[in-house]
Amino acid sequence: MAGLELLSDQGYRLDGRKAPELRKVQARMGVFAQADGSAYIEQGNTKALAVVYGPHEMRGSRSRTLHDRAVINCQYSMATFSTAERKRRPHGDRKSTEMSLHLKQTFEAAVMTQLYPRSQIDIYVKVLQADGGNYSVCVNAATLAVIDAGIPMRDYVCACTVGFVDETPLADLCFAEESGGGSSLALALLPRGGQIALLQMDARLHQDHLETLMEAAMTACKGVSKVLDEVVRQHLQEVSVLTGE
Amino acid sequence: MSPMKLCVPGDKLCSTDDCRPGTGVYMRHGYIYSSLAGYVLRKNEGEELPVISVVRETETQLLPDVGAIVTCKVTSINPRFAKVHILYVGSTPLKDRFRGTIRKEDVRATEKDKVETYKSFRPGDIVLAKVVSFHLLMEQLIFWLFTLDLPAQISLGDVQSNYLLTTAENELGVVVAHSEAGAQMVPVSWCEMQCPRTHTKEFRKVARVQPEYLHA
Repeated sequence: MAGLELLSDQGYRLDGRKAPELRKVQARMGVFAQADGSAYIEQGNTKALAVVYGPHEMRGSRSRTLHDRAVINCQYSMATFSTAERKRRPHGDRKSTEMSLHLKQTFEAAVMTQLYPRSQIDIYVKVLQADGGNYSVCVNAATLAVIDAGIPMRDYVCACTVGFVDETPLADLCFAEESGGGSSLALALLPRGGQIALLQMDARLHQDHLETLMEAAMTACKGVSKVLDEVVRQHLQEVSVLTGE
Repeated sequence: MSPMKLCVPGDKLCSTDDCRPGTGVYMRHGYIYSSLAGYVLRKNEGEELPVISVVRETETQLLPDVGAIVTCKVTSINPRFAKVHILYVGSTPLKDRFRGTIRKEDVRATEKDKVETYKSFRPGDIVLAKVVSFHLLMEQLIFWLFTLDLPAQISLGDVQSNYLLTTAENELGVVVAHSEAGAQMVPVSWCEMQCPRTHTKEFRKVARVQPEYLHA
């Protein structure tokens, strides 16, 4: 029997989406009262929770204090029940450490750290259900959490994972498409300025296709940013109604 | 009252010709953008351009700034310095405690070398102090290295990440202190406080609080 077709002849993907379509995004901010900022996001079946603490005094190794900026400390972890088979080591393995480092680099580009010298901002992200595009969903969740915490940022950071099948870029990959063997490119973008915070690609891609793929990724990120914008504005209005402004 | 405008990080608010930037905004290429999710506030200040800022209902964590007056609690003392926890910046309480150090030379302005920290602060005292610039810390470190006078107790890690505070002014120093008997002491002079129960005097570096702040 032939393998699963990632893109059918009529242009439909495995879950019925068209090539440039994003998955359904649902998000909520301020889910935890005890943290400074928190957010929960669902992109299709991928669910992630982000929590932000800070800025506060440096904890742990005080020698890592920067005299002119805040240190951003990220931790990425996956719940043991997030994947099809129970994850034996939710954090501390190489993939998680690499993801944590990427998240740190992404947010150091967007957060205005020079306003908080000699302090530390903690961003913790936990993936509750992993169905493709883990890094991108985590970045989106962390953006909402940082906004909820009131930490100044230059712009939103929106991320999306795109793949390339049959000369067509597919936006917002799900797990089956990611593990299908094609290349997957993750892009974290500051949508208004069009500045790229992080660009990461796995597997091989022909040089000629890179332009198209990046274009598709940028369009997808801008689509995500519209949805996140809606969520933030709605949350602000809800909060203002509660405080009676 | 007209509803205030909502804005999100990255929103272009106006150009620098129209307004001056306040808090919660940043400037880029001659335009002012928002950096927080909140409400836009435009304040007119007479002759100059109005100040535009973005405010949220809940204020974010304030950090002790250089030159700010902070209220702190003494946690431990040492012949060379006193360690404190910074509780308030100005009149805003901090959510998290920050750590600070008051060196022996910074306790008072005159006769710096004759200061004994045991006679200036005790653990548990509430002290008003001012944050000193960080660069002075580096100069002090370089001075110590040159004169080989590096104190044994202070490690480089402590020196760089602690807030350096000073009480070398008349209005700074101990505000609230408890005597060894446990009662709150009354200030007698700039260097003594008296316990109302046992009438013993104890040495502290007392702050001269403005008369309008004193309760009866």
